[in-house]
Amino acid sequence: MTTPGSYPTPPRGDVTTIHDLGYRRYEGARVGQAGAWRALYGQGLRTMFGLGRPMKAKALPVLLALATLLPALALLAASAASQGGLPIRYAIILQPQLILFVLFTAAQAPELFSRDQQHRVLPLLLTREITRTSYATARLAALMTALFFVVLAPLLLLYIGEVGVAADPAAVFEKMGTRIGPVLAQATITAIALGSIGAALTIWTSRRAYATASVIGFFLTTAAIAVGIDNLLGVSQRVVELVAPVRTLSMLAFLLFGETTRGMELDPPGSIWLYIGALLAVSTAACAVLVARVRRLVP
Amino acid sequence: MGANGAGKSTLVKVLLGLVEPTSGSASLMGHDVVRDRGAIRALVGYMPEHDCLPPDMSAAEFVTWMARCSGLPAAAARDRSAEVLRHVGLFEERYRPMGGYSTGMAQRVKLAQALVHDPRLLILDEPTNGLDPAGRDEMLALIQRTGSEFGMSVLVSSHLLGELERICDGFVLIDNGRLVRAERLGALTGETGTLVIEVDGDATAFAESLSAHGLLAQHERTRVLVQLPDGSDDAATRATYDAVRDAAIRDGTGLLRLERRRGHLEDLFQ
Repeated sequence: MTTPGSYPTPPRGDVTTIHDLGYRRYEGARVGQAGAWRALYGQGLRTMFGLGRPMKAKALPVLLALATLLPALALLAASAASQGGLPIRYAIILQPQLILFVLFTAAQAPELFSRDQQHRVLPLLLTREITRTSYATARLAALMTALFFVVLAPLLLLYIGEVGVAADPAAVFEKMGTRIGPVLAQATITAIALGSIGAALTIWTSRRAYATASVIGFFLTTAAIAVGIDNLLGVSQRVVELVAPVRTLSMLAFLLFGETTRGMELDPPGSIWLYIGALLAVSTAACAVLVARVRRLVP
Repeated sequence: MGANGAGKSTLVKVLLGLVEPTSGSASLMGHDVVRDRGAIRALVGYMPEHDCLPPDMSAAEFVTWMARCSGLPAAAARDRSAEVLRHVGLFEERYRPMGGYSTGMAQRVKLAQALVHDPRLLILDEPTNGLDPAGRDEMLALIQRTGSEFGMSVLVSSHLLGELERICDGFVLIDNGRLVRAERLGALTGETGTLVIEVDGDATAFAESLSAHGLLAQHERTRVLVQLPDGSDDAATRATYDAVRDAAIRDGTGLLRLERRRGHLEDLFQ
């Protein structure tokens, strides 16, 4: 404790001054490029779900994400009513939902890649601790992470539900233990494929409407071409499945979860590696397009 | 400075590494702009000419994000953001989406985001674009304060010469991508060796009358310009003033103004 006498005596004729601290230099830590990458990635991931944005920005991603959960919930309800008698088929459920994932990509990828150009934030970012390559990777990673969660949610719901509604959960869990692998694999590969294609398409324009249309257009066109060559040329089903990414992803799901359709029984599909390889090849090409485009963008 | 299309923004973009120079080289604070781009990033704050504010973000959020993208840790980014927004004069408004901001507020946010990571050099591209006269004055005062109080070097690009004159120490004039002149401002806007005289009457006749008495006089519209003797010799200058006064008395011409002409940046464009 200090005694009153030990206080420094104020200078003679002291004047009361208001201390305006004025401008203070920043002398603290700088986390450099890694920190900047995390900031860009984090902001991107939040933007994908409209977090921290007005309600308007949340509506579409949240509705689409919820819509993907509905078929899974319906199937679980039916399965519960029949006390686990109705088999839960992941690939059958996933097949129509792939369209919703494509819609999610079409709606939300432009939020990252077109908006930064539309509002001309890109030149600001590029004069900070962000290089063109780190911009491309941070934005792409945010898109893929968001897609991963969107694809994972219904599959995980089915997985948890299947264990939950079973008469003997422990026994089912024993049997199901291996199924979490396919769930994660399907979510990862779907996120990589749709994310990289979405990014490579939407980076070309600063107009969100065009960007969205280009993503939907790409998947519609590839689907139409697949149907066309199937009907007109009668080529092998293997070729048809590889032309449209959505069909490739669907086939991958059937193989991962070990499910079959009537068609697959008549004409057995190729090796699972064929589909994984095709999807990764398309993704790699899309990533290369994205990086090349970002390198050449004139802000 | 330079006219529209002179290459001001291009020069700024080359210095920032946003555009690769087609030929030649440039360095900023001792770092080559192409090879040492990484070293320059932390040293420079950039306020672009164009809009760069996402309308659905708030100023607080945007400036914090920009600080983090400059490599500041999250907590420090928030502190710095609050500090620079206060400095540029944004208070409660900083939590509102920027889409509803006036041009003046938007320009302030753009300045704040350039300052937030405490750069050593501030590059402002047309900072008073779109502002009304009052907003322009405030922005210029803010820039001047930032330069003097913060100890930052400020590089302002503008085609508005009058405003540059008020805040700058030196200038670089470019035209069509080429350097025309680079000088300290004092050299240009100091007193010149010309005496400007406005008269109540016929300027032409008064100029002739002065010439007849041995002064180097000529008329320019309604004014008469008299060349002072070289060497800024006080006695000689005073003698010239006296000669003008005497001539005015002799001709019965009223003198409205009598002053040494000052240099203006505008003169460079003539």
